[in-house]
Order: sequence, then structure tokens, then C-alpha cells
Amino acid sequence: MSIMQYNGSAIVAMAGKGCVAIAADKRLGQRALTVDTEFQKVFPITDRTYIGLPGLATDVKTLYDRFRMRVNLYKHNEERTIEPKTFSHLVSHMLYERRFGPYFVEPVVAGLDKNDEPYICGMDLIGCINFAKDFIVGGTASDNLYGMCESLWEPELGPEDLFETISQALLNAVDRDALSGWGAVVHIITPEGVITRDLKGRMD
Amino acid sequence: MNRFVEQLAANDVAELGMPGSLLAGPTAAMAGPTGHGLSFELAAGNNPAEFAQHFIDAKSEKDSLIKIAHGTTTLAFKFREGVMVATDSRATSGNVIASQTVKKVIEINPYLLGTMAGGAADCSFWERVLGMECRLHELRNKKRISVAAASKLLANLVYRYKGMGLSMGTMVAGWDEKGPGLYYVDSDGQRLANDIFSVGSGSTFAYGVLDSHYRYDMDIEEARDVARRAIYHATHRDAYSGGVVRMYLVQRDGWVPYPLEDVGDLYYQYHPEVQLTNRTESPLTVVPA
Amino acid sequence: MAPLTEPSAGFKFDNVKRNQLLGDKGYKLPTATKTGTTIVGLIFKDGLILGADTRATAGPIVADKNCEKIHYLAPNMYCCGAGTAADTEFTTNMISSQLALHSLNTGREVRVVAAMTMLKQYLYKYHGHVGAALVLGGYDVTGPHLFTIYPHGSTDKLPYVTMGSGSLAAMSVFESRWRPGMSREEGIEVVKDAIEAGIFNDLGSGSNVDVCVITKGNAEYLRNYSTPNERVQKEQSYRFTPGTTEFYAPRVARQAQEPAEMDTSA
Repeated sequence: MSIMQYNGSAIVAMAGKGCVAIAADKRLGQRALTVDTEFQKVFPITDRTYIGLPGLATDVKTLYDRFRMRVNLYKHNEERTIEPKTFSHLVSHMLYERRFGPYFVEPVVAGLDKNDEPYICGMDLIGCINFAKDFIVGGTASDNLYGMCESLWEPELGPEDLFETISQALLNAVDRDALSGWGAVVHIITPEGVITRDLKGRMD
Repeated sequence: MNRFVEQLAANDVAELGMPGSLLAGPTAAMAGPTGHGLSFELAAGNNPAEFAQHFIDAKSEKDSLIKIAHGTTTLAFKFREGVMVATDSRATSGNVIASQTVKKVIEINPYLLGTMAGGAADCSFWERVLGMECRLHELRNKKRISVAAASKLLANLVYRYKGMGLSMGTMVAGWDEKGPGLYYVDSDGQRLANDIFSVGSGSTFAYGVLDSHYRYDMDIEEARDVARRAIYHATHRDAYSGGVVRMYLVQRDGWVPYPLEDVGDLYYQYHPEVQLTNRTESPLTVVPA
Repeated sequence: MAPLTEPSAGFKFDNVKRNQLLGDKGYKLPTATKTGTTIVGLIFKDGLILGADTRATAGPIVADKNCEKIHYLAPNMYCCGAGTAADTEFTTNMISSQLALHSLNTGREVRVVAAMTMLKQYLYKYHGHVGAALVLGGYDVTGPHLFTIYPHGSTDKLPYVTMGSGSLAAMSVFESRWRPGMSREEGIEVVKDAIEAGIFNDLGSGSNVDVCVITKGNAEYLRNYSTPNERVQKEQSYRFTPGTTEFYAPRVARQAQEPAEMDTSA
């Protein structure tokens, strides 16, 4: 068993028309045992940039706190809010710093830039950025999510359609993965604000 | 061909005075269904068990050739009205959920049930063999086999293959002249009698519910509720259990199945405070960031 | 107490012991994204041409269908990367910034051998643990130069080179069709065909062809020069009718409960 499967997770981000979405399951497990069904894996970084952290839960929490600190420092030094692309490179560098002793997370970033353009990207555990214009997946259900997203995603989805597409992609992916699921949360990021919804999902 | 096993098998048949069959244990040649019974061909070599272990991963830990599905919750208990048997229905291969509609209760004959935990193929094959042996017993002795005898037959069957990679944890439930019968049999050859059993990766959770709510003098509805809750809570906490609750009640006239209950719906029955909505009721509103 | 500052440069090793412990306990440690790759370069009449496919893989999964494997080093220099994706990305980035500083310090265009030396010395220092296999190409005052640099720090200087898992397929094209003094059009065509040989015959390589033509005083990056694997229009849309997904009524934030008085009488 891989250390990436110790806690279990499923995270997906999708780009839409003038909006992006990021969704995650809520399970925290210890191998087969489900410990928590309200575990947070997606975190707001700014009003319009979110990061999902699939992987080892202890590193999820550690890294989120470190990101928080670095983003606060950025704001103090630069007197402006960090852009999703800039933030992604910050994350990437923080991961590559530990090239020979990595944190066990594969981050997924979703946000809107200053021109309201969608930005999504994923990374491996040592910070190799994968910039995509369609979708990014991560976690123990990532193979399932690849399958769902390749068939469900289409370009130019508005917020309403994007919500349904990302929700169905996630719910159906985790229903075939033993280590993720137990509820899900979706954030739709639009220029007007963020819509957050907790999905109904199977609890087994 | 394995001389040692062949000799062993031949000796056993002679000793027990039984017709050659699977009861005779492992033999080197496959006799086929029309011969004097079924038996397995074993790998050539000094230690077929060791050979098998290279290819069969009984603990689902390695990426070996043959993976055995392991996650399960099964339970059975005796109570005033008979024996209640309940299982989940999930099959996993690694972390992938292979099926949510597996039948883990095996109907051996109208009076006997077996449950499935561990290797699905091992359970269904050997309990089918058990069914055949039980029928032979009826024909020879002109009366139904007791649950005790049936479970011992199974225990003896699998004991012959001990250490060769069989993986099964099963409960044999039934009704005979002495009343309700319930035995636990596993691939180590262990056989136990008791009022309550639970087997599988979710069994600890099921035991938790059973131990706090089980009483011998429950009525059928109460017993169903306890069994349902035990399976439900196991599926909730155990990643490798899930799907539907499958329940059977064994009484004097044999077993009867109950309708399947989806665990996905049970969560919302047990948590009525959860309020669900969707777009039609709650239009897409933007929460100011 | 130390003040909150930006961290210093260099690798950090504070997780190594923990990760080793987890590895010893039997947990498989994950592997990084690799680029099962076809990268090539050749010299032609007026300079040199670099080529790369655009597939990034994570085990059997295609992680990125259109990634960039030709990295910028300097205005007159580019570098194709194969191996551990993060290593090629960060190594070329770091050398690129050092080259820029070097150029500003000397007031001259940097030579390709300088970049090659910096890369090989950096890679040698890490004894192959930084898994970058590179094809370096550039044009300086001494003319066009083409190098291959291996993860352990060895280098080659050749008129036509291939690297990565698709290198054999690509080299078969070069061996049969490269000749000295090719024209620009011929050169691009041979590079494209070599990369496509990798794309179609090597499972680790795929998708599109990136090309970079470097001549005296000019570098032209032809991103997605050839796209032989364009996805066709989907035949069916799986768009869901709004209202398909059920969700919880907006949650009220959980109220913090007053801690109950602990009974300490006993």
C-alpha cells in the first residue's frame, strides 16, 4: 500500500466559461477505517483562488499552514493579492525545495486571474506543474476521475452546468473507489463570488 | 504430478472408507465430474503450497497475479425465532470497488445457509461442494444432515487444503432436529459454535452494534433492526464494506430472504435531520466572498 | 524566536528521516511524474533545430497531453528535457537565471559551452539523483552547438542527437535521413518525422510535436508545430439537466459549545 493511499482522497478541478470549479470528497481514513466524514481538503487562498490537497492528511494540514504564511507574507510585501498562477509557482517551489524528502500531496489549484480568466493546474508531489485548460484530478480516485472527466467535460460550461458536471464526475468516481467519498463539497468560483455546496453522496 | 499428495489422497480414501471425492483432499489428477469425483490438480514440485503462494495473494497486499477480494461484513445470530443472517454486498479488488451487488449469502439447500468472506470463489465453490455432500448424506441416511455435521464436513474439506492459499471465513446457519444451528468455519480449519458471529473487515463494527443491542428474546422485527443497523454501521466505517443489506431468517421450515435495503438510503433514514435540496428548491445564489 | 521570513535557497532534508521511516514500515513511497519522452536535435546549414513530443506520464496514466519539454535557457539557447519532469523544469529554470546573471556580469551573450558546463557540474554534484536528461542547443559567437547531457553529468557533442524512451525510434529516422548542410525546411521535416516516430512507436511519448529553430541571432519556438493526434468532436454531450445533483441545505456554521463543567469531586 502506498502512503498516498493511507488517508484516501478525491479532488477535481474544472474550467468553465468565465468560471472554475473545484470539488473534493470529505473522507479521512486510516487505511480501511473511516475516521472523519467532514475533513477539509480544499482551502481558500484568496477570494478567488482555491487549492485542493489530496494525499497524506498530516501533510495536507502542515502545507496549508505554510501556504497561508507565505501568502500573507506576499500580501504584506507586495501590497496586492496573489494571482492563481503566481500562487501555483509558490506552491511548486515549496514542494521542489523538498525534492529529496517530499511532502506526500499532489496539489490542485483552481482560480480566476485578474482578467477573470479561468486558471487550473495540478502538480506532482515534487512540484512539477501540469497546466491544463480542461480539468485536473488528484487522489486515490484519480484514475476514476480521469475517466469521468474525459467523458463528461466539455468546453464553455457556465456556472450552472459546471456545477452539475463536476459534481457528477466526482460522485460517480468515488462510488468506485473504496478509500474516498463519504460526502463531497463543491466550490464554483465566479467573478461575482464563490458558491459552496455540500453534496449528497453515499456514506459507505 | 505430485506423488506425495497422490499417496496421501489414496490413503485417506482407504482409511475413511469413502468414495473418492473432494473429501479425499487434494490429488494430482483431475478426475472430472463423471469420474469418481472432483479434485484439484496441484503444481508439480515438492511444495505446491509454496508454489501457489507466489501467484495467489491471499492478503491482497501485493500486486501478484491473482488478487482475492477481502473486504466484507457478514453476521449471523441465533434468537428466539431462529437464526438471522445478514451481509453487505461490496466486492473490492485493491481499492477499486468491483461490485456493489454481490450475493454473500450462499443458499446451500432450503435449510442451510453459508456466508461469504475472504475469497469469493473459495467460498462459493466449497459451499457448493458442501451442498452436494449434504444431498448425498440425505440420500444415504434418508434424513437431513444436522447443521453441526454439515459445518464439520466443510471444516474437514478445507482443512485438507490448509496452507495452500484457500481464504474463507464462513458461517453455516440452519435448522435441524435440535433447532437453530450456527457455526463459524474458516480456511485455517477452525470451527466454532456460538449464538453470535460476525466475519470480515467490518466485523468489529458489527460486533459493536450486536453486543450493545442483541437480546435472545427479540421478536423478528427487532432482530431485523439490529442486523440492519449492524451491517449499516459496518459499511459506514469500513471502506471495504458497502452496497446493500442482504438479510435471511432461518426457521423451522427453512430460510426466507428479505428485500434488499440500499445502504445509501439507510444513512438518510437514520439521519432524518439531514435536509437535502437541489437547484429547483434553492436557486443558484452567490455567497459574497 | 525567529522572525517570519522567506526561506533560504537550496534543498531541505527535514522530511527525509520521516519518509524513510514510512518506507521502512512498508508503505510504498510514490514516484514523481516522468516524461517518457522523445527529444531530438540536429545541426543544419544555418543553425540547429530542437524537437520534442508533448506527453507527460504518471505510471500508466497520461498526466499531461500537451506539456512543454523545450525549455528556455537564454535568448540564443533552448534545452529539451527528459526524465523526472520536475527536475528538468527546475534545473533548466535555475541555470537559465544563472545564465542571465552571467550575461549581465560579462556584458556578453553567453556561450553554449558555458551552459553545458554549468548543467553538467550541477547534475554531477547530485550523482544522478536529479533525474534530468537534456538536449541542449544554442548559437553563439563560435557557431551552432548541440549537446546531450545525461543525469550523471556526462555530455556528448554531436551533429544529430536523440534522447528519452523514444530515442531509438527517432534515431532511426535521423540515421537514414540526416546529412550535413541540410536546408531549414528539410531539417524541420526530419525533426518532425523523428518526433512522430517516437509519438507513434513509443508508448511513453505522444500527442504533438514542438520544434525550436535556432539560427544566428534568432530563435523561433514553433509550439505545436505538428498536431497529428487532434481529438475529434465528441459525438454525444453528457450535459446534465440542472437539478440533477442533490445537495445539503446551506449549512449553518456549527455553534461552539460551552464546555461542560468537569466533575472533579470523585
